[in-house]
Amino acid sequence: MAYLDLKNVSKLFGTVAAVKDFNLAVEKGEFVSLLGPSGCGKTTTLRMIAGFEMPDAGTITLAGDDITIVPPNKRGTGMVFQAYALFPNMTVRDNVAFGLEVTGHPKAEIDERVREMLAIVRLPDAGKRYPHQLSGGQQQRVALARALAIRPRVLLLDEPLSALDAVVRVALRGEIRKIQLDLGITTVYVTHDQEEALSISDHVVVMNQGLIEQLGTPEEIYRQPKTRFVAAFIGTANQLHGVVVDRAQVQFGTMMLRAPVPSNLSASHQVVVLVRPESVTIHSAAPSSNQQNVLEGTIQTITFLGPITRIAVDVSGTRVVADVTAANRAALSHNQPVWLAFDPEACQVMASQ
Amino acid sequence: MKKQNSIFSLVLIGIFVLYMIIPIIATYMFSIATKWDVSILPEGYTLDWYQTAFDHPYFSITLTNSFIVSFSAVLAGLFFIVPTTYWVHTRVPSAKPLLDLLMILPFGIPAVVLALALIRVYNFQPVARSPFLLISGCVIFSMPFMYRPVSNSLMAIDVHTLTESALNLGANTFQILVRVIAPNIMPGILSGALLVFATVFAEFTLANLITGASFKTFPLLLVEFTKRDGRVAAALSVISFTVAWIASLAILWVSGRGHKPTEEVVAAH
Amino acid sequence: MSFSSRRPRQNLSAWAGVVPFLVFCLVFEIVPVVLLLLGSFTDKAGAFSLSNYQKISTPIYVRSFWNSIQLSGITAILGAIFGLLIGYAIFNLPSPRLREALLALSDVTTNFAGAPLAFAFIVILGSSGVVTLAFEQYLGLKLYPTFSIYSYSGLILAYLYFQLPLMILLIIPAFAGLRREWWESAHNLGANSWQYWRRIGLPILTPSLIAGVVLLFANAFGAYATAWTLGGSNITLVTIQIAFTVTGEVLHDPGAGDAMAMVSLLIMGVCIAIYQVANSRARRWAK
Repeated sequence: MAYLDLKNVSKLFGTVAAVKDFNLAVEKGEFVSLLGPSGCGKTTTLRMIAGFEMPDAGTITLAGDDITIVPPNKRGTGMVFQAYALFPNMTVRDNVAFGLEVTGHPKAEIDERVREMLAIVRLPDAGKRYPHQLSGGQQQRVALARALAIRPRVLLLDEPLSALDAVVRVALRGEIRKIQLDLGITTVYVTHDQEEALSISDHVVVMNQGLIEQLGTPEEIYRQPKTRFVAAFIGTANQLHGVVVDRAQVQFGTMMLRAPVPSNLSASHQVVVLVRPESVTIHSAAPSSNQQNVLEGTIQTITFLGPITRIAVDVSGTRVVADVTAANRAALSHNQPVWLAFDPEACQVMASQ
Repeated sequence: MKKQNSIFSLVLIGIFVLYMIIPIIATYMFSIATKWDVSILPEGYTLDWYQTAFDHPYFSITLTNSFIVSFSAVLAGLFFIVPTTYWVHTRVPSAKPLLDLLMILPFGIPAVVLALALIRVYNFQPVARSPFLLISGCVIFSMPFMYRPVSNSLMAIDVHTLTESALNLGANTFQILVRVIAPNIMPGILSGALLVFATVFAEFTLANLITGASFKTFPLLLVEFTKRDGRVAAALSVISFTVAWIASLAILWVSGRGHKPTEEVVAAH
Repeated sequence: MSFSSRRPRQNLSAWAGVVPFLVFCLVFEIVPVVLLLLGSFTDKAGAFSLSNYQKISTPIYVRSFWNSIQLSGITAILGAIFGLLIGYAIFNLPSPRLREALLALSDVTTNFAGAPLAFAFIVILGSSGVVTLAFEQYLGLKLYPTFSIYSYSGLILAYLYFQLPLMILLIIPAFAGLRREWWESAHNLGANSWQYWRRIGLPILTPSLIAGVVLLFANAFGAYATAWTLGGSNITLVTIQIAFTVTGEVLHDPGAGDAMAMVSLLIMGVCIAIYQVANSRARRWAK
């Protein structure tokens, strides 16, 4: 059994199933993100682990103990909330000490632990200040120190960065990951930001409408999306609708695309061929179509995105985007006829439905 | 926290509701009871006490006087307090703290003290003890009730951005006021006006001390009857309660679902 | 900015728009009160004197202040305690409709004061009132003469009628300001309900509670009509004494009225000041 184990967990709100038959095994020391749009059930799942929601079915075990119906204040989970969860009437020191004080730890130990935790979150001198005197990023660091101070068996973070500015967000997520690795603490992290989830997790669980769409390493989630939902939710993907011809070919309009067709999809099946924009190259003259797929179209828009430029091309009615570097973009202009090329290996074929 | 109630808290709410409604229900029943002094329920019902009240020569006079004073205070609120509030919000934000202070002062001045001060200073004719002086006192005493809701709704709608976008679209000051600002703060103005009406209508202290017998208002008649004839006093109380109920329900209705209890409920009794 | 040079002039003419209102306040509020203040420090001949304040240090006036303070204090504290409990019960009601209805009831009843309220209490708790009779017939309890609606004990009941709903209206927003995350964080960190209320809930509510108590105190202190209708001259309260000097009762010296009015204003001013401080503290935490 895994360290943190959710087995067939379901949760209903009225008649709406927020989480359906959810299974997740988190190993000790692992960092797992629950990723999905709002209302996908990710926060409900986290709150069931913390004990704020009671599952309607299934079991949750932590370090071998069945905690499904254990009250939240007896679980030993440390939770960091979206924002504003610091006690406003207490100093930073008292906030961090709170969990230890209510469970009756001796004062000397508490003082020592508070010092240690504030050092970990790099706010060693903030002890005497009140939450309202801190910036949003500092408040979330104190919230992290407070959750860690009780030495929780698992750290739960509920969109801890969503209320912060972009710059602080990126810096703090790196810090959270570093602290997590240093302490080796098992962590479940909820976010709707795919970049955030991919950048800090060991494993990512993509959720939609209470179900797991895909579970895998960030790399797998990005390279091999298993469903159209994952493909569309993670990064940008071109979706070319076609019909299966055989194991290696899909009919796309009047063109034939070479792509690896999974064995469960037989001939004449309606499918979608997914291609990431960075896998598509753009040419002002027709390239050789021996090894790769080639599509012909006209440039619709050119969008400068900093390190890359995104070119949208109209391929007989379908919009296909390709990312190019600055050097390659110079020669391109609006309405110009171009050729797009991509390898069959860059394609993912999945059923339309 | 889950929303849940213990038996204890339901009992508390029950007692509270009884405490709040028994006096009112009892007064309503007393006003239509033929005889009610030895049993729990009245022995019979009648509208005679209302008839007696209506027939009293002072009934229509005091009712008219009360309406005159209340409507004057409402008009002063609409054409004096509201424009001033709007003006300060949009043109002289630096005057806002002063306005806030002036609007909180009436809460700190007991009605008896205000009456005393006005009587001492305006002891010459024709203002001394005149309805005009009473109305002025009522305007002072009721202006926070007009100011709060209007000021709150002005803050809620971000007048500056609305005014600037209307200007940007070519509207003139008059069009901005009538077509953009007024519709947006109308609920605030209406509930302010109703609150002013209800409080001034029930106002006893200023009327009793400033004009007294020379310009009797409805609450004065009521107090007189509490000492003379309890049944008629009950009928008058019911009329008074009913005016307050109607005004309060109208306020709840115009201010819609967003219930914001604020300090404007503090009445000087 | 191109129009920055226009700013000061525009501001001056804009201030002109506030002048009518300022004049009105001066004429009917500020000046009369200031003149009253000056008058309270002058004798009949117009010279500076503390004689008015000496007059009100006689027993009858001291007692009226003491009575007013006691009545206001008791009803403020009882109102605050029960308002807090009932407010919390209402806040926790699962049905929003019921919650709205109770808030509406509080809204209406806190404004029911003065003569109609006093009379309603005579109807139920007078010597032959409904509740008096019910107590006697069903519980065998004779309320009179131990209790009388025309005495201070009756006055406390009548005042609580408008104090309780006022406290409820003041405290419910404060309950709403207690964020769910605070309760959940505390719970998550191992605290039980008692620890949460003692260390977080109540300390955060304290400024709102203090603000509520002083507002209720001021509310009761300035009240006149309810007490006058119920007790008339039998009840010695500051507002009733001041009113006597206005209506020209022979026993009462106008100078004493002025001095009492000033002391009342001072008490009310202290209340409002405490209220403002407590309120701004409550708001600082609410952000």
